[in-house]
Amino acid sequence: MHIMEGYLPASHCAAWYAASAPFVVAGALRIRKIVRERPEARMILAASGAFAFVLSALKIPSVTGSCSHPTGTGLGAVIFGPSVMAVLGVLVLLFQALLLAHGGLTTLGANTFSMAVVGPWVAYAIWRLGRGLGLSVALSIFLAAALGDLATYVFTSVQLALAYPDPTSGIVGAVAKFGGIFAVTQIPLAIAEGILTVVVIDALAGKTADADKVGVLAGEIR
Amino acid sequence: MSLSSMVDRAASLSRWRNRPVAEKACLGLGFLILAVSLPPWPGAALVGGAMLVITFAGARVPFRLWATVAVLPVGFLAAGSVALMLQIGPDGLAPAPGGVAAAGLLTLRALAATSCLLFLALTTPATDLLSGLRRLGVPVEVVEIALLTYRFVFLIGDTAVAMTHAQRARLGHSTRRRRLRSVGLVIANLLPRALDQARRMETGLAARGWAGDMRVLSNTPRASPTALLAIFTLQVAVAAAGAWLA
Repeated sequence: MHIMEGYLPASHCAAWYAASAPFVVAGALRIRKIVRERPEARMILAASGAFAFVLSALKIPSVTGSCSHPTGTGLGAVIFGPSVMAVLGVLVLLFQALLLAHGGLTTLGANTFSMAVVGPWVAYAIWRLGRGLGLSVALSIFLAAALGDLATYVFTSVQLALAYPDPTSGIVGAVAKFGGIFAVTQIPLAIAEGILTVVVIDALAGKTADADKVGVLAGEIR
Repeated sequence: MSLSSMVDRAASLSRWRNRPVAEKACLGLGFLILAVSLPPWPGAALVGGAMLVITFAGARVPFRLWATVAVLPVGFLAAGSVALMLQIGPDGLAPAPGGVAAAGLLTLRALAATSCLLFLALTTPATDLLSGLRRLGVPVEVVEIALLTYRFVFLIGDTAVAMTHAQRARLGHSTRRRRLRSVGLVIANLLPRALDQARRMETGLAARGWAGDMRVLSNTPRASPTALLAIFTLQVAVAAAGAWLA
Protein backbone atom coordinates (compact mmCIF):
# COMPACT_ATOMS: atom_id res chain seq x y z
CA MET A 1 0.00 0.00 0.00
CA HIS A 2 1.35 3.44 -0.83
CA ILE A 3 0.33 6.54 1.09
CA MET A 4 -2.65 8.01 -0.73
CA GLU A 5 -2.94 11.45 -2.30
CA GLY A 6 -3.44 14.24 0.24
CA TYR A 7 -2.86 12.04 3.29
CA LEU A 8 0.28 13.81 4.47
CA PRO A 9 0.38 17.50 5.51
CA ALA A 10 2.16 19.88 3.12
CA SER A 11 5.29 20.21 5.31
CA HIS A 12 5.77 16.42 5.39
CA CYS A 13 5.26 16.16 1.62
CA ALA A 14 8.01 18.73 1.05
CA ALA A 15 10.36 17.11 3.57
CA TRP A 16 10.03 13.65 2.00
CA TYR A 17 10.54 15.09 -1.47
CA ALA A 18 13.75 16.68 -0.20
CA ALA A 19 14.84 13.44 1.49
CA SER A 20 14.39 11.26 -1.58
CA ALA A 21 15.75 13.79 -4.10
CA PRO A 22 19.48 12.97 -3.59
CA PHE A 23 18.87 9.26 -4.20
CA VAL A 24 16.81 9.89 -7.31
CA VAL A 25 19.32 12.42 -8.68
CA ALA A 26 22.17 9.97 -8.05
CA GLY A 27 20.19 7.26 -9.84
CA ALA A 28 19.40 9.61 -12.74
CA LEU A 29 23.10 10.48 -13.12
CA ARG A 30 23.95 6.80 -13.14
CA ILE A 31 21.29 6.10 -15.77
CA ARG A 32 22.61 8.99 -17.83
CA LYS A 33 26.10 7.48 -17.71
CA ILE A 34 24.79 4.02 -18.59
CA VAL A 35 22.79 5.40 -21.52
CA ARG A 36 25.75 7.47 -22.82
CA GLU A 37 28.02 4.44 -22.79
CA ARG A 38 25.49 1.91 -24.04
CA PRO A 39 22.48 3.47 -25.75
CA GLU A 40 20.89 0.03 -26.04
CA ALA A 41 20.41 0.01 -22.26
CA ARG A 42 17.65 2.62 -22.65
CA MET A 43 15.13 0.11 -23.92
CA ILE A 44 16.15 -2.45 -21.31
CA LEU A 45 15.66 0.09 -18.52
CA ALA A 46 12.27 1.09 -19.90
CA ALA A 47 11.18 -2.53 -20.20
CA SER A 48 12.35 -3.18 -16.64
CA GLY A 49 10.38 -0.21 -15.35
CA ALA A 50 7.26 -1.38 -17.17
CA PHE A 51 7.87 -4.89 -15.86
CA ALA A 52 7.96 -3.54 -12.30
CA PHE A 53 4.66 -1.74 -12.92
CA VAL A 54 2.99 -4.87 -14.29
CA LEU A 55 4.40 -6.86 -11.37
CA SER A 56 2.57 -4.58 -8.98
CA ALA A 57 -0.67 -5.30 -10.82
CA LEU A 58 -0.37 -9.07 -10.32
CA LYS A 59 -2.09 -10.35 -7.23
CA ILE A 60 -0.43 -12.89 -4.96
CA PRO A 61 -2.40 -14.93 -2.42
CA SER A 62 -1.47 -14.58 1.24
CA VAL A 63 -2.14 -16.66 4.33
CA THR A 64 -5.00 -14.54 5.63
CA GLY A 65 -6.91 -15.03 2.40
CA SER A 66 -6.51 -11.44 1.38
CA CYS A 67 -4.54 -10.59 -1.73
CA SER A 68 -1.80 -8.12 -2.27
CA HIS A 69 0.70 -7.40 -4.96
CA PRO A 70 4.44 -8.04 -4.96
CA THR A 71 6.53 -4.89 -4.68
CA GLY A 72 9.33 -6.19 -6.85
CA THR A 73 11.80 -4.04 -4.96
CA GLY A 74 13.82 -7.08 -3.85
CA LEU A 75 13.99 -8.53 -7.34
CA GLY A 76 14.95 -5.19 -8.87
CA ALA A 77 17.53 -4.33 -6.23
CA VAL A 78 19.24 -7.71 -6.55
CA ILE A 79 19.32 -7.64 -10.36
CA PHE A 80 19.89 -3.95 -11.16
CA GLY A 81 21.32 -2.55 -7.93
CA PRO A 82 19.65 -0.02 -5.64
CA SER A 83 20.72 3.25 -7.30
CA VAL A 84 19.03 2.49 -10.63
CA MET A 85 16.01 1.18 -8.74
CA ALA A 86 15.45 4.64 -7.21
CA VAL A 87 14.67 6.11 -10.65
CA LEU A 88 12.71 3.09 -11.87
CA GLY A 89 10.82 3.21 -8.57
CA VAL A 90 9.82 6.86 -9.07
CA LEU A 91 8.59 6.09 -12.58
CA VAL A 92 6.56 3.12 -11.36
CA LEU A 93 5.07 5.18 -8.53
CA LEU A 94 4.24 8.00 -10.95
CA PHE A 95 2.44 5.63 -13.31
CA GLN A 96 0.66 3.96 -10.42
CA ALA A 97 -0.61 7.37 -9.32
CA LEU A 98 -1.63 8.48 -12.82
CA LEU A 99 -3.04 5.20 -14.12
CA LEU A 100 -4.38 3.50 -10.98
CA ALA A 101 -4.86 6.32 -8.43
CA HIS A 102 -2.56 4.18 -6.23
CA GLY A 103 -0.39 6.55 -4.21
CA GLY A 104 -0.35 10.18 -5.23
CA LEU A 105 1.58 13.19 -6.49
CA THR A 106 1.87 15.08 -3.19
CA THR A 107 2.91 11.86 -1.44
CA LEU A 108 5.25 10.81 -4.27
CA GLY A 109 8.31 11.93 -2.27
CA ALA A 110 7.31 9.92 0.79
CA ASN A 111 6.38 6.85 -1.23
CA THR A 112 9.62 7.10 -3.19
CA PHE A 113 11.60 7.11 0.02
CA SER A 114 9.94 4.00 1.44
CA MET A 115 9.45 2.07 -1.81
CA ALA A 116 12.37 3.08 -4.02
CA VAL A 117 15.06 3.95 -1.45
CA VAL A 118 14.53 2.06 1.84
CA GLY A 119 13.14 -1.17 0.31
CA PRO A 120 15.81 -1.63 -2.37
CA TRP A 121 18.72 -0.63 -0.11
CA VAL A 122 17.60 -3.00 2.65
CA ALA A 123 17.09 -5.79 0.13
CA TYR A 124 20.46 -5.13 -1.48
CA ALA A 125 22.28 -4.96 1.87
CA ILE A 126 20.73 -8.24 2.99
CA TRP A 127 21.54 -9.88 -0.32
CA ARG A 128 25.21 -8.83 -0.07
CA LEU A 129 25.35 -9.78 3.60
CA GLY A 130 23.78 -13.17 2.95
CA ARG A 131 26.23 -13.94 0.15
CA GLY A 132 29.10 -12.65 2.29
CA LEU A 133 28.11 -14.99 5.12
CA GLY A 134 28.08 -17.86 2.68
CA LEU A 135 24.31 -18.44 2.66
CA SER A 136 22.88 -20.11 -0.44
CA VAL A 137 21.61 -17.96 -3.32
CA ALA A 138 18.03 -19.09 -2.69
CA LEU A 139 18.10 -18.21 1.02
CA SER A 140 19.82 -14.87 0.42
CA ILE A 141 17.26 -13.91 -2.22
CA PHE A 142 14.39 -15.03 -0.03
CA LEU A 143 15.62 -12.94 2.90
CA ALA A 144 16.43 -9.94 0.71
CA ALA A 145 13.01 -9.90 -0.98
CA ALA A 146 10.98 -10.65 2.16
CA LEU A 147 12.78 -8.19 4.43
CA GLY A 148 12.99 -5.54 1.70
CA ASP A 149 9.21 -5.77 1.28
CA LEU A 150 8.67 -5.65 5.04
CA ALA A 151 11.09 -2.73 5.51
CA THR A 152 9.11 -0.75 2.94
CA TYR A 153 5.89 -1.16 4.88
CA VAL A 154 7.43 -0.63 8.32
CA PHE A 155 8.91 2.60 6.97
CA THR A 156 5.52 3.61 5.55
CA SER A 157 4.07 3.14 9.05
CA VAL A 158 6.85 5.32 10.47
CA GLN A 159 6.09 8.03 7.92
CA LEU A 160 2.40 7.96 8.83
CA ALA A 161 3.26 7.98 12.55
CA LEU A 162 5.51 11.02 12.16
CA ALA A 163 2.64 12.87 10.52
CA TYR A 164 -0.05 11.68 12.95
CA PRO A 165 1.45 10.92 16.39
CA ASP A 166 -0.75 9.26 19.00
CA PRO A 167 -2.35 11.80 21.42
CA THR A 168 -1.08 9.94 24.53
CA SER A 169 1.79 7.69 23.52
CA GLY A 170 3.24 9.93 20.79
CA ILE A 171 5.13 8.72 17.74
CA VAL A 172 6.03 5.31 19.22
CA GLY A 173 2.38 4.52 19.86
CA ALA A 174 1.44 5.73 16.41
CA VAL A 175 4.08 3.49 14.81
CA ALA A 176 2.48 0.57 16.63
CA LYS A 177 -1.00 1.57 15.45
CA PHE A 178 -0.14 2.17 11.81
CA GLY A 179 2.25 -0.77 11.84
CA GLY A 180 -0.55 -2.98 13.13
CA ILE A 181 -2.68 -1.98 10.16
CA PHE A 182 -0.16 -1.64 7.34
CA ALA A 183 2.93 -3.66 8.33
CA VAL A 184 1.87 -6.66 10.45
CA THR A 185 -0.71 -7.62 7.83
CA GLN A 186 2.19 -7.48 5.41
CA ILE A 187 4.27 -10.22 7.09
CA PRO A 188 2.61 -13.14 5.28
CA LEU A 189 2.77 -11.15 2.06
CA ALA A 190 6.46 -10.46 2.61
CA ILE A 191 7.06 -14.19 3.05
CA ALA A 192 5.03 -14.87 -0.09
CA GLU A 193 7.05 -12.31 -2.00
CA GLY A 194 10.27 -13.89 -0.73
CA ILE A 195 9.23 -17.33 -1.98
CA LEU A 196 7.96 -15.81 -5.21
CA THR A 197 11.26 -14.04 -5.88
CA VAL A 198 13.18 -17.30 -5.34
CA VAL A 199 10.83 -19.04 -7.81
CA VAL A 200 11.38 -16.20 -10.30
CA ILE A 201 15.18 -16.10 -10.02
CA ASP A 202 15.34 -19.88 -10.21
CA ALA A 203 13.15 -20.05 -13.29
CA LEU A 204 15.08 -17.20 -14.89
CA ALA A 205 18.57 -18.45 -14.27
CA GLY A 206 17.89 -22.11 -13.56
CA LYS A 207 20.60 -23.53 -15.74
CA THR A 208 23.49 -21.35 -14.58
CA ALA A 209 25.76 -22.08 -11.65
CA ASP A 210 24.89 -20.54 -8.29
CA ALA A 211 27.69 -17.98 -8.30
CA ASP A 212 26.77 -16.15 -11.52
CA LYS A 213 22.99 -16.58 -11.37
CA VAL A 214 22.32 -12.90 -10.84
CA GLY A 215 25.09 -11.62 -13.11
CA VAL A 216 23.46 -13.46 -16.00
CA LEU A 217 20.21 -11.54 -15.52
CA ALA A 218 21.58 -8.04 -15.29
CA GLY A 219 23.06 -8.02 -18.80
CA GLU A 220 23.63 -4.53 -20.14
CA ILE A 221 22.68 -2.61 -17.03
CA ARG A 222 25.49 -3.73 -14.72
CA MET B 1 -4.06 -4.26 -15.65
CA SER B 2 -7.44 -3.53 -17.07
CA LEU B 3 -7.80 -0.59 -14.72
CA SER B 4 -4.73 1.17 -16.08
CA SER B 5 -5.87 0.58 -19.68
CA MET B 6 -9.28 1.92 -18.72
CA VAL B 7 -7.84 5.08 -17.19
CA ASP B 8 -5.52 5.56 -20.15
CA ARG B 9 -8.35 5.13 -22.64
CA ALA B 10 -10.59 7.52 -20.72
CA ALA B 11 -7.83 10.13 -20.66
CA SER B 12 -7.24 9.81 -24.40
CA LEU B 13 -10.95 10.01 -25.23
CA SER B 14 -11.68 12.78 -22.77
CA ARG B 15 -13.54 15.87 -23.93
CA TRP B 16 -10.64 17.91 -22.62
CA ARG B 17 -8.01 15.75 -24.32
CA ASN B 18 -6.99 18.56 -26.67
CA ARG B 19 -6.96 21.33 -24.10
CA PRO B 20 -3.46 22.70 -23.52
CA VAL B 21 -1.53 20.59 -21.01
CA ALA B 22 -0.36 23.72 -19.19
CA GLU B 23 -3.97 24.72 -18.45
CA LYS B 24 -4.96 21.30 -17.15
CA ALA B 25 -1.75 20.97 -15.13
CA CYS B 26 -2.23 24.41 -13.54
CA LEU B 27 -5.79 23.49 -12.72
CA GLY B 28 -5.08 20.03 -11.27
CA LEU B 29 -1.72 20.67 -9.61
CA GLY B 30 -2.67 24.15 -8.37
CA PHE B 31 -5.77 22.84 -6.64
CA LEU B 32 -3.78 19.86 -5.37
CA ILE B 33 -1.34 22.19 -3.62
CA LEU B 34 -4.25 24.18 -2.20
CA ALA B 35 -5.93 20.98 -0.98
CA VAL B 36 -2.95 19.97 1.17
CA SER B 37 -1.93 23.44 2.32
CA LEU B 38 -5.29 25.05 3.21
CA PRO B 39 -7.00 24.10 6.50
CA PRO B 40 -9.21 21.07 5.70
CA TRP B 41 -12.40 22.80 6.79
CA PRO B 42 -13.53 24.68 4.78
CA GLY B 43 -10.46 25.01 2.49
CA ALA B 44 -10.16 21.43 1.26
CA ALA B 45 -13.95 21.14 1.03
CA LEU B 46 -14.03 24.17 -1.31
CA VAL B 47 -11.16 22.75 -3.37
CA GLY B 48 -12.86 19.37 -3.61
CA GLY B 49 -16.17 20.98 -4.58
CA ALA B 50 -14.54 23.13 -7.27
CA MET B 51 -12.60 20.20 -8.64
CA LEU B 52 -15.66 17.94 -8.79
CA VAL B 53 -17.66 20.62 -10.63
CA ILE B 54 -14.81 21.05 -13.12
CA THR B 55 -14.40 17.27 -13.52
CA PHE B 56 -18.07 16.44 -14.05
CA ALA B 57 -19.55 19.62 -15.52
CA GLY B 58 -16.51 20.87 -17.39
CA ALA B 59 -14.60 17.83 -18.60
CA ARG B 60 -17.72 15.58 -18.43
CA VAL B 61 -15.88 12.62 -16.92
CA PRO B 62 -18.36 9.73 -16.55
CA PHE B 63 -19.22 9.31 -12.86
CA ARG B 64 -19.09 5.50 -12.90
CA LEU B 65 -15.57 5.52 -14.27
CA TRP B 66 -14.51 8.09 -11.69
CA ALA B 67 -16.03 6.03 -8.87
CA THR B 68 -14.34 2.80 -10.05
CA VAL B 69 -10.93 4.47 -9.93
CA ALA B 70 -11.67 6.13 -6.57
CA VAL B 71 -12.42 2.83 -4.77
CA LEU B 72 -8.77 1.99 -4.06
CA PRO B 73 -7.80 5.24 -2.31
CA VAL B 74 -11.01 5.10 -0.26
CA GLY B 75 -9.94 1.67 1.04
CA PHE B 76 -6.64 3.14 2.24
CA LEU B 77 -8.52 6.00 3.83
CA ALA B 78 -10.82 3.66 5.76
CA ALA B 79 -7.88 1.63 7.14
CA GLY B 80 -5.88 4.74 8.04
CA SER B 81 -8.81 6.39 9.82
CA VAL B 82 -9.04 3.48 12.27
CA ALA B 83 -5.56 4.36 13.53
CA LEU B 84 -6.55 7.99 14.07
CA MET B 85 -9.69 7.12 16.00
CA LEU B 86 -7.83 4.94 18.54
CA GLN B 87 -5.08 5.79 20.97
CA ILE B 88 -2.61 3.64 22.86
CA GLY B 89 -2.72 4.75 26.49
CA PRO B 90 -1.58 3.22 29.79
CA ASP B 91 -4.56 0.87 29.69
CA GLY B 92 -4.26 -0.32 26.13
CA LEU B 93 -6.31 0.71 23.11
CA ALA B 94 -9.03 3.27 23.69
CA PRO B 95 -11.02 5.64 21.49
CA ALA B 96 -8.97 8.81 21.02
CA PRO B 97 -10.61 12.06 22.19
CA GLY B 98 -11.35 14.12 19.09
CA GLY B 99 -10.20 11.19 16.97
CA VAL B 100 -13.38 11.11 14.90
CA ALA B 101 -13.03 14.82 14.13
CA ALA B 102 -9.35 14.40 13.22
CA ALA B 103 -10.15 11.44 10.97
CA GLY B 104 -13.01 13.41 9.39
CA LEU B 105 -10.79 16.38 8.55
CA LEU B 106 -8.08 14.12 7.17
CA THR B 107 -10.65 12.27 5.06
CA LEU B 108 -11.87 15.60 3.70
CA ARG B 109 -8.37 16.70 2.73
CA ALA B 110 -7.42 13.35 1.21
CA LEU B 111 -10.65 13.19 -0.83
CA ALA B 112 -10.15 16.75 -2.10
CA ALA B 113 -6.57 15.91 -3.14
CA THR B 114 -7.69 12.65 -4.74
CA SER B 115 -10.31 14.49 -6.80
CA CYS B 116 -7.49 16.71 -8.17
CA LEU B 117 -5.40 13.65 -9.02
CA LEU B 118 -8.35 11.93 -10.70
CA PHE B 119 -9.12 15.08 -12.71
CA LEU B 120 -5.59 15.01 -14.12
CA ALA B 121 -5.54 11.23 -14.60
CA LEU B 122 -8.88 11.14 -16.43
CA THR B 123 -8.41 14.15 -18.72
CA THR B 124 -4.71 14.10 -19.59
CA PRO B 125 -2.84 11.09 -20.96
CA ALA B 126 0.32 10.32 -18.98
CA THR B 127 2.45 10.94 -22.09
CA ASP B 128 1.31 14.58 -22.23
CA LEU B 129 2.20 15.10 -18.59
CA LEU B 130 5.59 13.42 -19.04
CA SER B 131 6.42 15.55 -22.09
CA GLY B 132 5.62 18.54 -19.92
CA LEU B 133 8.29 17.40 -17.43
CA ARG B 134 10.96 18.13 -20.04
CA ARG B 135 10.00 21.79 -19.94
CA LEU B 136 10.46 21.75 -16.15
CA GLY B 137 14.11 20.76 -16.51
CA VAL B 138 13.97 16.99 -15.92
CA PRO B 139 16.91 15.40 -17.84
CA VAL B 140 16.00 14.26 -21.36
CA GLU B 141 17.32 10.74 -20.74
CA VAL B 142 14.96 10.23 -17.81
CA VAL B 143 11.94 11.61 -19.68
CA GLU B 144 12.71 9.40 -22.68
CA ILE B 145 12.96 6.34 -20.45
CA ALA B 146 9.68 7.36 -18.79
CA LEU B 147 7.95 7.66 -22.18
CA LEU B 148 9.33 4.31 -23.32
CA THR B 149 8.30 2.75 -20.01
CA TYR B 150 4.76 4.02 -20.54
CA ARG B 151 4.61 2.38 -23.98
CA PHE B 152 5.96 -0.88 -22.62
CA VAL B 153 3.48 -0.95 -19.72
CA PHE B 154 0.57 -1.83 -21.96
CA LEU B 155 2.50 -4.30 -24.15
CA ILE B 156 3.85 -6.22 -21.17
CA GLY B 157 0.53 -5.93 -19.35
CA ASP B 158 -1.32 -7.60 -22.24
CA THR B 159 1.20 -10.44 -22.21
CA ALA B 160 0.76 -10.91 -18.46
CA VAL B 161 -3.03 -11.00 -18.81
CA ALA B 162 -2.81 -13.60 -21.59
CA MET B 163 -0.44 -15.77 -19.55
CA THR B 164 -2.68 -15.61 -16.49
CA HIS B 165 -5.73 -16.57 -18.59
CA ALA B 166 -3.89 -19.59 -19.94
CA GLN B 167 -2.87 -20.68 -16.43
CA ARG B 168 -6.41 -20.24 -15.08
CA ALA B 169 -7.78 -22.38 -17.90
CA ARG B 170 -5.33 -25.13 -16.86
CA LEU B 171 -6.24 -25.01 -13.12
CA GLY B 172 -3.11 -23.04 -12.35
CA HIS B 173 -4.96 -20.99 -9.76
CA SER B 174 -6.96 -23.80 -8.14
CA THR B 175 -5.07 -23.88 -4.84
CA ARG B 176 -3.10 -21.26 -2.98
CA ARG B 177 0.17 -23.13 -3.48
CA ARG B 178 -0.36 -23.51 -7.22
CA ARG B 179 -1.40 -19.92 -7.47
CA LEU B 180 1.80 -18.66 -5.90
CA ARG B 181 3.79 -20.91 -8.22
CA SER B 182 1.78 -19.75 -11.23
CA VAL B 183 2.32 -16.09 -10.43
CA GLY B 184 6.02 -16.83 -10.00
CA LEU B 185 6.09 -18.52 -13.41
CA VAL B 186 4.30 -15.59 -15.06
CA ILE B 187 6.83 -13.15 -13.61
CA ALA B 188 9.75 -15.39 -14.53
CA ASN B 189 8.52 -15.74 -18.11
CA LEU B 190 7.57 -12.10 -18.38
CA LEU B 191 10.96 -10.59 -17.54
CA PRO B 192 13.00 -12.32 -20.30
CA ARG B 193 10.19 -11.64 -22.76
CA ALA B 194 10.10 -7.98 -21.84
CA LEU B 195 13.87 -7.68 -22.13
CA ASP B 196 13.89 -9.63 -25.38
CA GLN B 197 11.18 -7.42 -26.83
CA ALA B 198 13.17 -4.37 -25.74
CA ARG B 199 16.31 -5.69 -27.46
CA ARG B 200 14.45 -6.45 -30.69
CA MET B 201 12.82 -3.05 -30.70
CA GLU B 202 16.17 -1.41 -30.05
CA THR B 203 17.74 -3.27 -32.99
CA GLY B 204 14.86 -2.33 -35.24
CA LEU B 205 15.01 1.32 -34.30
CA ALA B 206 18.82 1.44 -34.51
CA ALA B 207 18.57 0.07 -38.07
CA ARG B 208 16.33 3.03 -38.88
CA GLY B 209 18.81 5.54 -37.50
CA TRP B 210 17.13 6.17 -34.16
CA ALA B 211 19.24 8.58 -32.14
CA GLY B 212 17.35 8.17 -28.91
CA ASP B 213 14.64 10.79 -28.82
CA MET B 214 10.97 10.11 -29.38
CA ARG B 215 9.57 12.99 -31.38
CA VAL B 216 5.83 12.65 -31.74
CA LEU B 217 3.56 15.13 -33.52
CA SER B 218 1.45 16.92 -30.98
CA ASN B 219 -1.45 19.08 -32.05
CA THR B 220 -2.45 20.51 -28.72
CA PRO B 221 -2.80 24.29 -28.88
CA ARG B 222 -0.71 26.64 -26.75
CA ALA B 223 -2.16 27.67 -23.42
CA SER B 224 -4.22 30.86 -23.73
CA PRO B 225 -3.31 33.64 -21.27
CA THR B 226 -7.03 34.31 -20.66
CA ALA B 227 -7.68 30.73 -19.57
CA LEU B 228 -4.60 30.70 -17.34
CA LEU B 229 -5.66 34.01 -15.79
CA ALA B 230 -9.15 32.61 -15.15
CA ILE B 231 -7.67 29.51 -13.50
CA PHE B 232 -5.42 31.56 -11.26
CA THR B 233 -8.27 33.91 -10.32
CA LEU B 234 -10.44 30.94 -9.38
CA GLN B 235 -7.63 29.44 -7.30
CA VAL B 236 -6.88 32.70 -5.53
CA ALA B 237 -10.61 33.09 -4.79
CA VAL B 238 -10.82 29.56 -3.36
CA ALA B 239 -7.65 30.09 -1.31
CA ALA B 240 -8.91 33.41 0.04
CA ALA B 241 -12.32 31.95 0.89
CA GLY B 242 -10.70 28.94 2.55
CA ALA B 243 -8.34 31.04 4.64
CA TRP B 244 -10.97 33.65 5.53
CA LEU B 245 -13.70 31.19 6.57
CA ALA B 246 -11.35 29.03 8.63
